[in-house]
Formats: sequence, C-alpha cells, structure tokens
Amino acid sequence: MPPVQADNPEHAAELLARIASEQSRAAFAELFRHFAPRLQAYATRQFGNEQTAMDLVQETMANVWHKAHLFKPDRGSAATWIFTIARNIRFDFLRKNKHRQHDLSADDLWPVLAEENESLDDDYALDNDLLMQQLAVYTESLPKAQRIVIELIYVEGKSQQEVADALEIPLGTVKSRTRLALQKLKELIQHHD
Amino acid sequence: MIKFHPSEQHLVQYAMGELSPAMLMMVGSHVDMCPTCQMHLRDVEEQLCQKAFGQRQVPLAQLDEEAMLNAIFQSSVKPSAASSAPLETLSLEGKRFKLPATLARNGDRIGPWSKMLGKMWRAPIEIGSGETLNFIYMDQGAQVPEHTHRGFEATLVVNGVFNDESDEYRDGDFVLLDGHHKHTPQTQHEDCLTLATIDAPMHFTSGLSRLLNPFSSLFLK
Ligand SMILES: [Zn+2]
Repeated sequence: MPPVQADNPEHAAELLARIASEQSRAAFAELFRHFAPRLQAYATRQFGNEQTAMDLVQETMANVWHKAHLFKPDRGSAATWIFTIARNIRFDFLRKNKHRQHDLSADDLWPVLAEENESLDDDYALDNDLLMQQLAVYTESLPKAQRIVIELIYVEGKSQQEVADALEIPLGTVKSRTRLALQKLKELIQHHD
Repeated sequence: MIKFHPSEQHLVQYAMGELSPAMLMMVGSHVDMCPTCQMHLRDVEEQLCQKAFGQRQVPLAQLDEEAMLNAIFQSSVKPSAASSAPLETLSLEGKRFKLPATLARNGDRIGPWSKMLGKMWRAPIEIGSGETLNFIYMDQGAQVPEHTHRGFEATLVVNGVFNDESDEYRDGDFVLLDGHHKHTPQTQHEDCLTLATIDAPMHFTSGLSRLLNPFSSLFLK
C-alpha cells in the first residue's frame, strides 16, 4: 500500500476525481484522514468551541463527498477548494444564530458549490502571443509531466479531454497539471519582467 | 481596462468573509468584472488555505473517524442555500443593464427605483446589516453637488462612465474615498450605473448646496 500522500496536490485532485466518478469510499476516507484534522484545527481556532468546530468539519466533508464533481482542478488546488467550502460554512454559521432575516448567504457571495460554473473555464486562455513567446523559453524548466500537457494543449491545440485520452490519465490530472504549470509559468514570467 | 481595484487587504478580507456585507457585495461585484482580481483572488485563497491548514495544532477533540465517515456516507445531499434564479438584468427608464454575477445572485434583495435630485435615481439593496447599499443611476449631464464624507464612500461603476475632479471612472472601476476627499461626481455625454455604499451622510461643501446638509440623509443616506 502506498503511503498516504493527500498532501500532493495532484494526488488529492485524483482522489476527488475518484469520488466524483465512482463514489469511491476509500478515496474519500483518505482525503478525510488528511483534511479533517486540519479543518478541525482551523475551525477550533475560529470558533473556540469544540462542538461547533466538529459541526464544521462534518458539514464541510459531507459537501466534499456529495459535491466532488464540482471541483475544477484547473481553477485551484483540492485543498483550496475544501478551504473555500469551509469558509462558506463558517460564514453561514456565524450568522445562523442571529436570526436576522435579510442576512447574506455564503452561497450567494461565493458560489463554490453552484452546479453551473462553466463559463469561466477559459480563464486561463492567457494572452496567446505572450504565452507563445514565453512558452518556448520557460517550458523547458517545467517538470516533464507538466511540460508535455502544456505543449499538447497550447502548442498542438488539443483539448484537456483529448490530452487525457492520449496520455491515458484522468481528466482531473490533466487539469491540475495544467494549472500547476501555468502557475509556475506565471511566476517565471513575473520574475523575469 | 479597469484602472481602479480594491486593495490587497480588501481582497484578503473578502476571501475570508470578513468585510461588512455591503463591502462583500461591492468587492465581489468588482471581482466578477475584473479578470486581474479574479486571478489575484485565487492566489489569495491559496495562501489563506495554506495558512489555515498549515498550522499544525493538537486538536482539542479526538476525531471519531469511523463514526464521522459513516454519518457522511449515510447523509443525503443538502439543497443549496442559494437563492433561486439569478436576476440577469436590471431595468430602469427603458434601459437594461447586465448585472455582475454577485449582484445577479442577490437580485431578490434589490428594491424599487426612486428618483433623487436632478437626473439621478437610486434603488436600495437590502443586505440586513443596516448599511446603506444602493444602485445609483446618473443620466447624462447629471451632477452630485460637491461634498465630503464623514466616513467613507465606495463606488463601483457597473455600466457607463462618470468623472470627478481627479479622474474618470468606467465599467468595473472601484473607488474608495474617505472623509478627506472632496469631490463632485458627474456624468457628461453618457449615463452611468453605479453601486455605492457610504457609512455616513454626505456633507455638502459649496455654495447653496450647503443648504442641503440637513436633508442629505433624505437622498443618499
Ligand atoms: Zn480588479
């Protein structure tokens, strides 16, 4: 059995993909073991109350279980997605006890768990000229797995699904590699400006 | 091109949910309109996440992993707390304005339009916090008399253009002024829809408009 490595962003994204596609309880249990104690520590600092902290852990992880299909690996890491779910739940918890009728709801402010959120998918279609110029120079420094994905997408113009099929890896992995690579490229570009 | 953005501090507080409701709506609407801040916000969330999850601390309560997993596997999907259908456009005087997503999702909070002084209208947004958050619509050639603020005034241009003595503000621009600024917002040949919050009544500073001060709360707060 491989060591627990939910710390690794690609692995965490794959676990979410397995929960989404096959309701894998094993994948979820692995994610739970990694994130629940962190959520608990975070929530305990926030609320100073053990029971409320446990409720936040439970509710956050239940959302992860039911809504894993809403995780978009190209938009952020699994950890950040889980953090933003917890942020929303915390926001609503803080208002729930006040019984004020018109309070804003977290879901209306940050639609982390909204079903239709595809419109921003092309966000990372960076300025094409810029990307092409910089790509040749900087892609060399990327880890091989990321470089291949980036070249297939941005040089050969393949879709993420086509890349997943060609490389026989999950779509979630393609998305997270793309995101990590673009993040790295962004840093390189900024540092050389 | 958006020229004026919320501060880094605002984005961080927005990402933590620690701005006032009015400012959450303002900053959220700006982010909807601003690719730069969308990108920036993702980085901020990533950093907040690392900070929140990176601090190893001995948990106060021992997690009963088995029981929690079972409870989760047996739970059913909770319906989202989000309000029903978003309000895609806002209408006034026969014109229609496309709303940023944050405002669209909170469309059921938008009250009716009422006419203010001159060529201006406002519609309140009910956010339950006692803060004043309004759409302000300025028709072409409208002017707010020169004023200062005792508190602060935040304005987001949703559509159109207005200017004051120091600059011109267009779609997506986010302007924050405090009590030290004196200004006279106005439109020229275009109309302008803004979202605005102020935390104290305006204080008019020039000529006859000073007579408005006792009544300023009637039309802007
Ligand atoms: Zn911005």
